[in-house]
Amino acid sequence: MSEVTKELFIKRSPDLMELELPTATEQDLARISRELAIGLSVEEMKKVQRYFMKMRRLPTDVEMEAIGQAWSEHCCYKSSKIWLKKYVYPIQLDKIVAREDAGVMEFNKEYYLVAALESHNHPSAIAPYGGAATGIGGILRDVLCMGAQPVALIDPLFFGGLDWDFEKLPKGVKHPRYLFRRVYEGIRDYGNRVGIPTVAGQICFDDCYLGNPIVNVGCVGVVKKEELIHSYAAKPGEIYILAGGKTGRDGIHGVTFASADLDAGSEQVAQSCVQIGDPITKEPLIHAFRECVTKGLVEGSKDLGGGGLSCASSELAWERGYGAEIDMDNVPLKVAGLKPWEIWVSESQERMMLLIKNENVEEVLKIFESWDISATPIGKVIKDPVIRVLYKNEKVLELDLSFLLGEPTLKRPYETANVIREDNSSFDLPDLNEVLLSVVGSLPVASREKVIRQYDHEVRGKTVIKPLQGKLGFPTHGDAAVVKPLINSNNGIALTSDVNPSFTKLDPWRGTLSAVDEVCRNLVAVGAEPCCLADCLNLGDPTKLKTMGDLVQVCKALKKVASVLELPFISGNVSLYNEGLHGSIAPTPLILGIGRVEDITFCTTTDFKEREDLIYLVGETKKEMGGSLYYKLLNVREGKVPNSDPERLKESVDAVLEANHRKLISAIHDASEGGIAAAVSEMAIGGDLGCVLNLEKMKNLRCDIKLFSESNTRWVVEVKPEKAKEFEEIFEGKGIKTTRLGRVSGKRIRIADRKEIINLPIDLIRKEWNNGLKKWME
Amino acid sequence: MKKSDMRVAIVRMEGTNCEQELQDAFTVLGVDSKFVHIKQLKELTGFHCVVIPGGFSAGDYVRAGAIFASLIKTKIFKELKEFIKEGYPVLGICNGFQILVEMGFLPGKGRGRACLAPNDSGVYECRPTLVRNENRGKCVFTNKLKRKEIRMMPCAHAEGKIILEEPKKMLSQLKADDQIVFRWVDPDGKLAGYPWNPNGSLDNLAGLCNMEGNVLGLMPHPERSFFRWQHVDWVRKGLSAPGGYNVGDGRAIFESVIECISKKF
Repeated sequence: MSEVTKELFIKRSPDLMELELPTATEQDLARISRELAIGLSVEEMKKVQRYFMKMRRLPTDVEMEAIGQAWSEHCCYKSSKIWLKKYVYPIQLDKIVAREDAGVMEFNKEYYLVAALESHNHPSAIAPYGGAATGIGGILRDVLCMGAQPVALIDPLFFGGLDWDFEKLPKGVKHPRYLFRRVYEGIRDYGNRVGIPTVAGQICFDDCYLGNPIVNVGCVGVVKKEELIHSYAAKPGEIYILAGGKTGRDGIHGVTFASADLDAGSEQVAQSCVQIGDPITKEPLIHAFRECVTKGLVEGSKDLGGGGLSCASSELAWERGYGAEIDMDNVPLKVAGLKPWEIWVSESQERMMLLIKNENVEEVLKIFESWDISATPIGKVIKDPVIRVLYKNEKVLELDLSFLLGEPTLKRPYETANVIREDNSSFDLPDLNEVLLSVVGSLPVASREKVIRQYDHEVRGKTVIKPLQGKLGFPTHGDAAVVKPLINSNNGIALTSDVNPSFTKLDPWRGTLSAVDEVCRNLVAVGAEPCCLADCLNLGDPTKLKTMGDLVQVCKALKKVASVLELPFISGNVSLYNEGLHGSIAPTPLILGIGRVEDITFCTTTDFKEREDLIYLVGETKKEMGGSLYYKLLNVREGKVPNSDPERLKESVDAVLEANHRKLISAIHDASEGGIAAAVSEMAIGGDLGCVLNLEKMKNLRCDIKLFSESNTRWVVEVKPEKAKEFEEIFEGKGIKTTRLGRVSGKRIRIADRKEIINLPIDLIRKEWNNGLKKWME
Repeated sequence: MKKSDMRVAIVRMEGTNCEQELQDAFTVLGVDSKFVHIKQLKELTGFHCVVIPGGFSAGDYVRAGAIFASLIKTKIFKELKEFIKEGYPVLGICNGFQILVEMGFLPGKGRGRACLAPNDSGVYECRPTLVRNENRGKCVFTNKLKRKEIRMMPCAHAEGKIILEEPKKMLSQLKADDQIVFRWVDPDGKLAGYPWNPNGSLDNLAGLCNMEGNVLGLMPHPERSFFRWQHVDWVRKGLSAPGGYNVGDGRAIFESVIECISKKF
């Protein structure tokens, strides 16, 4: 602590400081914020100053910390809130039952579907193993605290290029290869232990993530309608029970850390910000909590994540305008000697807050005891909208909740970036056999098997469509995974995620539309009707005009496409200040798509099924090569990012689903990175069957563009010859183009466009595809 | 004994995580089962079968199954030994197998020691795997399976490689006494290497029973192929199966033990 500020801190007791705020100058205010590491701006500090002058007393350090947490970007979304409120939250609002720690929607007559999506980016940059693991822990609690049984996890990940030169890494920045490995190991070791299957995900590599990986995590669960628990207090007098792990020094200032740029010094500073996960406390915590829920003992609940006790206790009370009195002496601690402010804002893992009626407290404590899980009453809900905290019989915090949680919002200035939508490239046609092998062996397309097999994607025995599909021994990528959460119902939940930073980097608007387009394509490909989306908006520093401009564009694009598709956002998260080695990351609006399957026996997979079946392309192919894998491989830096027409997407989604309901689809795969060439390759790999295709009917494009264009709203579909007519009619009726490309045949992929352009054995394609990512993991 | 009178104890502790699908399997077959936390397990009277499910008991941070095994040893070892001696069936799947080996129930008294070592690949392996029924009739969990029949039961473990203290001698004893129940095979039914043998297990061993045939430990998960739609390729092959609509390859394990209990008790 520097000399100048020392006089600003007054020791009130051995554990407690007060701050001489009324006399503080602007300079002092900035210094206090910095030294307490609470991340408040001078403007915000002035607001705090005015509040305590009105109260005619000095704030304690506990109070300052509580305000710092509550007003952090991470907790209150101050930069993004106005845009989310304007564009994203209102879409199809009547379909949302609740949007609290997790979102809730109808699943079937008896059950709700519960989903949540979050980022764990900053912790994973510093401590990838622990950061990724606690990401799962946190998202599970979000779903659990609604009373739901978590049924599946999804982990979209973004790293810098695996081939980045070690010599060129600045001090303190971890190599993408190390981060990638430690992140999936963290997911594996936590997810597998906790017994919730990791069924889907995404692994993306782009140098914009050097120094700042993106680790998002989503979870879905189901809950009987009458067992839904809300994240708020229903009545004064309810007792706060803190259950699960003990409170320690780990994870202090996690949210303020997440609301700032990472720099070379982050390594030292941040070690204490990263929480330590413990799946073997979590696993029984799920059982014990669920037992309390099914017995009807829980009135409200919230998980302890960002902001710790402070955030959970305050928000639970304030949501319905109540307050809380908490006695911190009762909080079970990992180690003695924690200061009251540390207890109040620690983000130690595996903790949940329950609100319980007085008469049920004893029974709840018994249930937790039977699972060897600590549970302690620590306070109660009160009528006045004030939060009061006692520590060793001393009042250490008393704040009006309207002040603490009054949602400071910022309307930050922004600038919409110019987008280039031209393609003047000209180059000779390369050897397309060679290009196809590079495409399937490239990082965006290559097999994820080596990672997927390390995640237990089958625990609970409900994963009916798996992330790896196909003939036994010939695994290929699926478009989405499907779980069948209820033993007595054939209803299923499909999960997928997407965003392509190569698109969003060049064109945030079209990139965002494309992400939604792709998740919808993936969902209908397995036979699921898209029912909602979740968004995790990962962007750079919001004080940069362009970052804010990108954020606004993303929100507008989401509104446009989701409104047409009638898809509400069930959950979401914003992660800002993602600044890597090359500045802001590409805007990364990660879209989680959740689909509903009426009857899982109608599900379809990507693998070719039978010789002589016909192969169709659904949708239109255009020369939209900006950000495409093909142009990247050829080093062509031009082209427009594929557009998506939401109306057309909706029509196409309906048509594919109709074909599914009429059982006309033998295999289906959406065309995305690597175009139809990559799609067909993966279908062949999984079926161990080749194909003969002729592209002449795809008009007015050079053959390489036909093969590798990444135009949206397209699928490659295998159809039995006797069903061809019915299949074609469905699409014709809706004005959607289908092109018959050829048929399933032999063990080679043979493609002609007037003359033969591709002729390769599947075994060779499979070999390249298998090694593309694996070779970096050895 | 009638099916409706049977009761199965599914023993669990912190980190056990395959219990729900196990219970579902018994429920579908009309048999009542109870989750019992090892802390609360005081006696086995009233139960006709004990199952130790898969998972990561106590996190498996020490050695897979070590803590669960030592808890059983201090809590209910005598009762469990008696239970087995009376001929009641005991099943350990994955982590449960590791626990049965750790306690010495498998390969069994006077048999030398076995161990489930880390997979050769060095990592967790979650994949569809095939096992061949090697048992000649001793094991009570496989009497519904034909000899040499191949079944798909997925594996999901990091420590499943069976190693034996005196490999040669013990293998021939196990063979002679019909204690080998399952071996990993490829789709042609041949003993094959990785990935069909997902862990590098000696002689492709995937499941063993005790001398009496009423204790089975296996690494693959029969409860994960109880239904046909749990199979990775059901979309290709349809849901009709030899055993009936939507019957998965693993169901026979449960049907076998239920039949055995109903005949014997």
